[in-house]
Amino acid sequence: MNCYLCENQLELKPSWRDLFFVDRQETICSTCRDLFEPIKGGCPICSSSGSELCTDCSNWEKTEFRGALDGGKCLYAYNAAMKDFFHQFKFLQDAILAEVFADELAAALKKTPATIVPIPMNPHKLKVRTFSQVDSMLNAAGVQYLHLLEKNEEVQGEKNRQERMETRDLFTLNGNLTPKRIVLVDDMYTTGTTLRLAAKLLKDAGAEEVNFITLIRA
Amino acid sequence: MKELQDFLAGRIWLRDFTPFSREVIDKAVNDGFIAVRKGITEKMECARCLNNSEDTIVAFDCARCGGICHYCRHCIRMGRVSSCTELITWKEPLEISSYSHSFLWNGELTNLQQQASDELKESLRRNEPHLVYAVCGAGKTELLFPPLHAALSSGKRICIAAPRTDVVLELSPRLKSVFPGTIIHTLYGGSPSEEGFAQLVIATTHQLYRFEEAFDLVVVDEADAFPYSYDPALARAVKKSLKTAAPVVYVSATPSKELLKTVSNQSRIFRRFHGHPLPVPAYQPLWSYRKSFHSNKIPVKLVEWVKTQLESQQPFMIFFPTIEMIKQAEPLFKQLDPRIKAVHSKDPDRKEKVMMLRNKEIPGILTSTILERGVTIENVQVAIVGADEEIFEASALIQMAGRAGRSHEYPQGDVIFFHNGISRQMDKARDLIKSYNREGFR
Repeated sequence: MNCYLCENQLELKPSWRDLFFVDRQETICSTCRDLFEPIKGGCPICSSSGSELCTDCSNWEKTEFRGALDGGKCLYAYNAAMKDFFHQFKFLQDAILAEVFADELAAALKKTPATIVPIPMNPHKLKVRTFSQVDSMLNAAGVQYLHLLEKNEEVQGEKNRQERMETRDLFTLNGNLTPKRIVLVDDMYTTGTTLRLAAKLLKDAGAEEVNFITLIRA
Repeated sequence: MKELQDFLAGRIWLRDFTPFSREVIDKAVNDGFIAVRKGITEKMECARCLNNSEDTIVAFDCARCGGICHYCRHCIRMGRVSSCTELITWKEPLEISSYSHSFLWNGELTNLQQQASDELKESLRRNEPHLVYAVCGAGKTELLFPPLHAALSSGKRICIAAPRTDVVLELSPRLKSVFPGTIIHTLYGGSPSEEGFAQLVIATTHQLYRFEEAFDLVVVDEADAFPYSYDPALARAVKKSLKTAAPVVYVSATPSKELLKTVSNQSRIFRRFHGHPLPVPAYQPLWSYRKSFHSNKIPVKLVEWVKTQLESQQPFMIFFPTIEMIKQAEPLFKQLDPRIKAVHSKDPDRKEKVMMLRNKEIPGILTSTILERGVTIENVQVAIVGADEEIFEASALIQMAGRAGRSHEYPQGDVIFFHNGISRQMDKARDLIKSYNREGFR
């Protein structure tokens, strides 16, 4: 096996653990793994640096989105290694890269009693991309999830910051019953608009607690 | 239609990513000009790069076709090819008329170059493969010009494939000035699109994945170089890009044993165009250089060498085995002279920095093996730090040594192998250089 990212041979280190547990196989080498930067602590909603609620999130709390998100966690900083990874995964469509952060996502999600809800892609976009990054990462992590949302035609990535934050009707409910506790999952937290729109819609439909996990904090 | 044919003839391309509109492509398919095939064959082989390794033809759940698709990771950077991706080719081969291409060249070849040039021309006339085995600085490119002119004029479509973008970018302007009336395309990762039907293509070897039965002749420049000799897929790509029974010309300063055995037409030039022998590498122990850089010190012997170059104002190149070591060393060398620069394969300003060294705006450059070939800097002095490291094979060492003494005015130059113990590859490189010098001056 070679590292998915640098293509160097993966070293197999035999261990006692291997005899008793079936762990997921390593997908990338330790050199590549070390280039990613896990986020520790940070804003209780968006994980940006500092331990208090950050300025952006405080501002959100002064809008109609007050209380939409109860808390959140972004797992990694958007550093050079993560940019390369994300480019290869999303834009070069290297679908098996969904496995790279499977352990980390599984660890972040496995204990939650809440329903795991992926942020969806719109169906047209999904056909072009051929796979959903979020769903495929969750599949690789082996966690159960439930789609509650449908995404409309607009594409957040093609807008500027102002336009993004003014977006209002990005999602509709798909008709499934809304559970009380929800963890939203997305690939990246940028302005936080996407997640808040989804969270508000779900809260308006009866959810009591909405948290989120994203792989990346941009 | 002419434009579409010019673009597609000899190519194998993603149907969804051409410079033409969907309607134009659909019509040409319906009219029977374009053939369509699946990206991954029944035998689980990539139809573009011919990769069939289980590790790199991988499965995923595809939302486009609603089933399990396979895709090729090997050539994914050229746009992903998967089972439900369609690749298109132009069905009819394109006829090229013979006419005398204009040939603007008044250079003179040495006797050895002339002989090799004539031998190559003769091989091509007979449509046979040929190996030009010539030392660094023998003037390989120039001797190709007359045979290329003859081949172009007889209506052959030609590709010159080189392993690296840097080499392609250096070759392209030279060929364009020699063949000013010929449509020449230059292809590498991220190259701008060009118009017309190119009878001469200069490309990185990787770009050959995108051709199929296109060429009457492929010249594989630096035929020994990374990644060509390490990657069997590239050898398959060369074969796939050729028309049936079309020959390959291999050009190399350090050909593999295999190449020497399999190609029977060979020309050898073991003497540089200026008639002087190749500089022979000197060995200089540099014990524990890794530790030294780790503790932020340049080993004393290396400091002395650099100071000598700085005082005599001779440009220098110092090769390092890893990018990490370059990054460690760069600030230390800047203390000796703040103008010293460092480059490596991921450096976007590489071209500019090499230009600065050539123009004597900076005294020296720290580099990875990326500059081991294709770079000519007058009177450059060469040091290899860690010449004993595994990454430095004999062929790489010969190439790096070959940077020194290339010009008429300065046919000599330092080549120092700084080492932490002498490796076999170092000895092999030095012995080969000595043997070239013996043979070239018999």
